Amino acid sequence: MSDAVAAAEQMAPDASRAGTRLWRGALKSPLMLVGMAGTLVIVAAAVFAPMLAPYDPTSQNLASILVPPIWHPDGTVEHVLGTDGLGRDVASRLLFGARNSLFVAGAAMLVGSSLGLITGLVAGFFGGRTDAIVMRLGDVQLAFPFILLAIAVLGVLPDRHPVHLILVLGIPGWIIYARVVRSRVLAEREKDYVEAARAVGAGSWRRLFRYVLPSVWQVVPVIALLDIGFLIIMESTLNFLGLGLQPPASTWGGILAEGRRNMVVSPWLPVLPGLAIMVTVLSINLFGDGLAALFDPRLRRGGMRRIIPPSPSARAAMAAPSPREEVAEPVTSDGDAGSLLRIRDLHVEFPVEDGTVHAVRGIDLDIRPGETLGVVGESGSGKSVTASAIIQLLDPPGRVTSGSILLDGEDLVRATNRRMRGLRGRDIGMIFQNPAASLNPVLTIGFQMREAIRHVTGGSASAAATLARQVLVDVGIPDPDRISRQYPFELSGGMNQRVMIAMALAVKPRLLLADEPTTALDTTTQAQILRSLADLTDEQDISLLLITHDVALIAEYADTILVLYAGEVCEYGPVDQVIADPRHPYTRALLESVPRIDSANEQLETIPGELPDPRATRTGCPFAARCSEVMDVCRDEVAPPFPIAPGHVAACHLWSPKHVGEASP
Amino acid sequence: MTTTPLLEVRDLSKHFMVRARGAGRRSTTLRAVNQVSFTLAEGETLGLVGESGCGKSTLGRTVLRLLDPDGGAVILEGRRLQSSHDPALRRAAQIVFQDPYSSLPPRMRVGRIIAEPLLIHDIVAAGEVERRVESLLRDVGLKPEHAAALPSQLSGGQRQRVGIARALAVEPRLIVADEAVSALDVSVQAQILNLLKHLQKERGIAFLFISHDLGVVRYMSHRIAVMYLGRIVELGVAEEVVHQPLHPYTRALMAAVPKLEARRATIRIESEPPNPADPPTGCAFHPRCPIAEPECSSDRPDLIRWLTGRDAACHFALAETSNGTGSGAPPVDTTGGAA
Repeated sequence: MSDAVAAAEQMAPDASRAGTRLWRGALKSPLMLVGMAGTLVIVAAAVFAPMLAPYDPTSQNLASILVPPIWHPDGTVEHVLGTDGLGRDVASRLLFGARNSLFVAGAAMLVGSSLGLITGLVAGFFGGRTDAIVMRLGDVQLAFPFILLAIAVLGVLPDRHPVHLILVLGIPGWIIYARVVRSRVLAEREKDYVEAARAVGAGSWRRLFRYVLPSVWQVVPVIALLDIGFLIIMESTLNFLGLGLQPPASTWGGILAEGRRNMVVSPWLPVLPGLAIMVTVLSINLFGDGLAALFDPRLRRGGMRRIIPPSPSARAAMAAPSPREEVAEPVTSDGDAGSLLRIRDLHVEFPVEDGTVHAVRGIDLDIRPGETLGVVGESGSGKSVTASAIIQLLDPPGRVTSGSILLDGEDLVRATNRRMRGLRGRDIGMIFQNPAASLNPVLTIGFQMREAIRHVTGGSASAAATLARQVLVDVGIPDPDRISRQYPFELSGGMNQRVMIAMALAVKPRLLLADEPTTALDTTTQAQILRSLADLTDEQDISLLLITHDVALIAEYADTILVLYAGEVCEYGPVDQVIADPRHPYTRALLESVPRIDSANEQLETIPGELPDPRATRTGCPFAARCSEVMDVCRDEVAPPFPIAPGHVAACHLWSPKHVGEASP
Repeated sequence: MTTTPLLEVRDLSKHFMVRARGAGRRSTTLRAVNQVSFTLAEGETLGLVGESGCGKSTLGRTVLRLLDPDGGAVILEGRRLQSSHDPALRRAAQIVFQDPYSSLPPRMRVGRIIAEPLLIHDIVAAGEVERRVESLLRDVGLKPEHAAALPSQLSGGQRQRVGIARALAVEPRLIVADEAVSALDVSVQAQILNLLKHLQKERGIAFLFISHDLGVVRYMSHRIAVMYLGRIVELGVAEEVVHQPLHPYTRALMAAVPKLEARRATIRIESEPPNPADPPTGCAFHPRCPIAEPECSSDRPDLIRWLTGRDAACHFALAETSNGTGSGAPPVDTTGGAA
């Protein structure tokens, strides 16, 4: 939503820094750290079992059977965890049991995940009949009782080998992987890059393995880690039932089964393998959950919106106008007292993984009652962030770090959440680019409008219904009664946007924020909607903040224009004057780089280079690196807004009194 | 321009089955592209404009056989295309997509992305691939160092350049640019448009340039085709289509474009676009047309030549221009001279 954050993310190197992220994530989540440590210890124990085990796990010593563990009064140092009914060392058997359990479960996981990955890829990519067959097989698989399968296969084999166990445990798991992989493939195969690969002549298998696979395989390890815990339990169960590895092999399930026989005299015997199983599975699951959370972006970002409390220095700054504001005075000299919205030196920041995105860097603006201010800028200019800051709904973790936003003298930056809820929708209306996302899909248009109106006015349901009907007619909907009964998905984008406008204007807000209100709409619909928006705000004397990337829209519908670049104001003034006589080189370049139907440009002007890094601190003008008229001073000194004409300023050193004086002596 | 066109599209149709909403669950046929014909010469740009749902993107993809047509023929370099797996087609015609983010494989390095077509078609010897990738990167204004980058490390404009380099790798004669600059910021958009123009001048590549932005299409195109509900309603020399539109829909479209000078345009079409799955009878535009006559709702006008290099599908193509309802268009002289 906020283009600054998107810009920062786009620049963040994606290069495999999974390792660093893993460590950082582990440090942040103690549970994951515990799981990781436990998993590592158990894996190490399994790998080094032959070295760690004090005894051969199969060697019997009938002279010392059922020796209790060391903490028992009768315990001995020779057998730390005691011995079993045949005099075998329990500690050694548990260590080798870990070896067997992890090996069998790990191998089964590899079998299941490979099978699942391949079937999921094929089913998702080729779709149609292949998909139907694979998925129905999966349904059968899920419905088939696993234990029955195990008994049917393992129970009849005269001579069981670990491979048999691995296959019986592993194969049924494929469907879990296949389902997830398939759904990822379904989403991925529709993307343009797969289509592009087809266009350059890549065959199906090449597209599947070279293009789709690298984007989907990452889900497999996460499922695998959770699957392995389940497999360890299943492996132990089979061993317990005597369907697993044949004695005398040490397995946790086997130790448990034997322990059960001596439970009355040696109650610790079944408890110890049980604990081993539990600790292992718990460690692996904690580790797996941590990993899943770490690599799922939806679970990563979070946190509440935080607004700075009014610090003493900020208060002082507000009381005593900064030098910057003094220079900015000409902007508002004609309507100083009359500003409905007055923003001064607004700064908004978004902390990101590798630094801070300074999305808005000291923006000033004024809107008089009934005025339409057009804010134009490219992505990363801070135009949408400014609108979000006005209604105090910045995407977390963005926050206003300094400056003031005065609505009729009331500072919104320092307003309470409760106060802001009261202002939003009532005094400040909002329209966004995607109307369908702002409307509730399961409620009718009429219901949503009546609720919204009643929420603000507190009037009766019938009064709200009458008003809703009236405003729908106002925005140019010919049959409001029919539209009221419909759901947002039944209407076109243009219709939904009309509904949003009607809803916003129904309660006669003082200020309406329209953020790219017609960008998603067709040209002809755009013209209709902006026309009615302009007429309605004119009639009702509502101030309109129109944010768009399209200068021509502002030229046609706004009174005043504010040109933003990389979070700073370039130029501000009456729209006709700025369009006819742009003074900031960026404004000029912006006007000349748009191909238009009303003027013949043989060759478009281009602005070389790209936007500056939004994370970097700046000295001088943000446009200096791309400017055709750059001077030495531009790189070192910030250009304050220099007055051009009444109400028209340009933040460019070309118009500093000093430079103007030198240029025309 | 040569006598045999590079590309000839004849009565091309592409239909989709759409399930109707509600209880009946009856399927209806959406004629996304409905018997469209046009030609494209070597080194020429045909701009294809229209609003969302008019079928312009479907047309572009059907021409490239990324979608299988339901009727008609595509003749490329004199050869009628039969199969979507035709390697000659994949070498002769390429596509550049709108979204610079989703059109590059996210986990493939830029060098490899551009090398893929070279490897698939064995265009250069194995040892030469790297050098060819470097020269392609330079051709689109990137540096050889970019070969090692992942798409996520590039800006939108740079990614779009990579997409263009990938298309250029097979040395195509035709590139379908499907909203190729719509997702870019205006300053970057101008760079990419000029790059495409430059490549065309240098290599004689023909473009089918699809966009909803009339300004961009006018800047890029020699001729413009206007689509409405699956059909071309007007086709002609770019400057003339922009300044003296023959079809009332083109006229409305031009009037709706926001302009820097002429503020607050006066004419616009009312009402919503119709449902493409259930288009009006006769001329599909008649319910919204300011000059519709009764016959417009029953007889569908064919796309016919009214003036030199000017085709329109309207019963009153000329009558309309001269009565001046359009934004001050001068009467057309019937010899078809330029405006």
